[in-house]
Amino acid sequence: MEVVDREKKKKINDIDEGEDHYASVSASKSQFRKVILKARWSDEMGMAEVVDKKGAIWRTTGIVRSGKLYFFIEEVLFWIEIGALLLMDDGDISLSLEDMYVKISDGKHGCSWEEFQAYRQLKSLGYIVGQHGIPWSMKSAKSNHESVSSQGGLDSDEEVDLDSEESRSVIGLFNDMQINETRLVFDVYLPNSKFRKSSPGDPSFVLCFTRGHPPPKADLEALERRCDNIPMKVCHVEEGVVSFFSFDKVELPILP
Amino acid sequence: MGPRWKGKGAEAKALADPMSKIVLKLQSSLIQSDARGILCGSSVLLAAEEEQALLFGRAYFGHPIVNADKDRQWFQLGMEEAFFLCYSLKCLKIAGEDKRPKDDQELWQCMKSKKAGFPVFYKAYSHLRTKNWVVRPGLQYGADFVAYRHHPSLVHSEYAVLVSSEGDAEANGRLKVWSDVHCTLRLCLGVVKTLLVLTISKNGDDDASPSCLANYTVDERTVTRWSPEQSREEDTTDNAESHTTDNAESQATE
Repeated sequence: MEVVDREKKKKINDIDEGEDHYASVSASKSQFRKVILKARWSDEMGMAEVVDKKGAIWRTTGIVRSGKLYFFIEEVLFWIEIGALLLMDDGDISLSLEDMYVKISDGKHGCSWEEFQAYRQLKSLGYIVGQHGIPWSMKSAKSNHESVSSQGGLDSDEEVDLDSEESRSVIGLFNDMQINETRLVFDVYLPNSKFRKSSPGDPSFVLCFTRGHPPPKADLEALERRCDNIPMKVCHVEEGVVSFFSFDKVELPILP
Repeated sequence: MGPRWKGKGAEAKALADPMSKIVLKLQSSLIQSDARGILCGSSVLLAAEEEQALLFGRAYFGHPIVNADKDRQWFQLGMEEAFFLCYSLKCLKIAGEDKRPKDDQELWQCMKSKKAGFPVFYKAYSHLRTKNWVVRPGLQYGADFVAYRHHPSLVHSEYAVLVSSEGDAEANGRLKVWSDVHCTLRLCLGVVKTLLVLTISKNGDDDASPSCLANYTVDERTVTRWSPEQSREEDTTDNAESHTTDNAESQATE
């Protein structure tokens, strides 16, 4: 009996900074949703193809290629955690949350567990988050390069075969982006009900991750050059705590 | 985070009395009196007549020493402050125990031997002073310096300054681990200051003589925490905040 009390007190002390895990469990349970999406995971692509969609989630989640909707692993996991996505593998065998935790643990699908925690936090707050540098749709890729043709083709008109080469080139991007231990991971847009994948505009900022240490000036400058005038923030995730930092170049005024 | 003036008329008072002019007055006063300082440990001591003492106070160099000298007010200057008056403003001569004033080169060697990384810290100090910011020791805030927009009686210090040096182990070794970044920003939040990191690049120059300072460059960056909970709308992003600061600044300089 006494032991239990002590154990209880210890737990209460552990959660002194407002992160009351006891209380929040039931609160977050109430946010669980009904399944409205079905998707099929492909290990080869490291992505899931959405085969059945209701609601409006798809407007701000996933990339569109050849008229099909694909989710990255962080998007898949986010919606599974919430209970809104049912996932199957190639053989129509359902994949569990646990299966996906295992898949993200090796970090081979373009998103690590640390990065996912940042994704989840931003996404829960309504931010629109995409993989850095990967177009939401081929149409937006074209318009970003200011070469929209007069056809103004629908996504479904695209002759891009995602199943083979393109998906690999997309995965290839993940690796190329590493600068030392620091890389640009997400393009983040402010919450926006009018967001369109075909014309997403510039992101509000690019989120970069470092492993180990805060980025020195040389790393920041190298990353900023790659961000092409879009503001950059640095994310640090440790022990489940996600923190965002700005290292902004300034010029102090010359005072009178 | 803009300037926090102390009371209503403070900003107008500061505008009417620019820091650059105050420092110029101190400079000519020191030249006129052929001021001599005594290098004492890592400080420089000097005595000032009443009017000059007032200027020291207004320009906020050093801090007064309480002693029984009735005729003159004694001041204790930090190494960067003393070297600035000596080398940049050419209005102070500093002597050691032999009472012979040291030339720039001797003084430079002397300062370097007393403080590792002095060239880098001095560059940071003089960079801000040259822009007419008032620069004071930052130790009590866990920083290298704090920077004020004007005299501390009129305005709270705006920046906690950390000096970083590119590519070598000099300077302070700060912000190399995330726990220190968190710690420093938590502290800055508590004392309402913005963290300013000045990174000094030596551009291949060594520090054999003080003339190398001219080749050093200074990179200014603020480090802030961004809160996704409080930035969901365009107006409350930190970009918008910095616009407000810019406006406040342009108003202040008008």
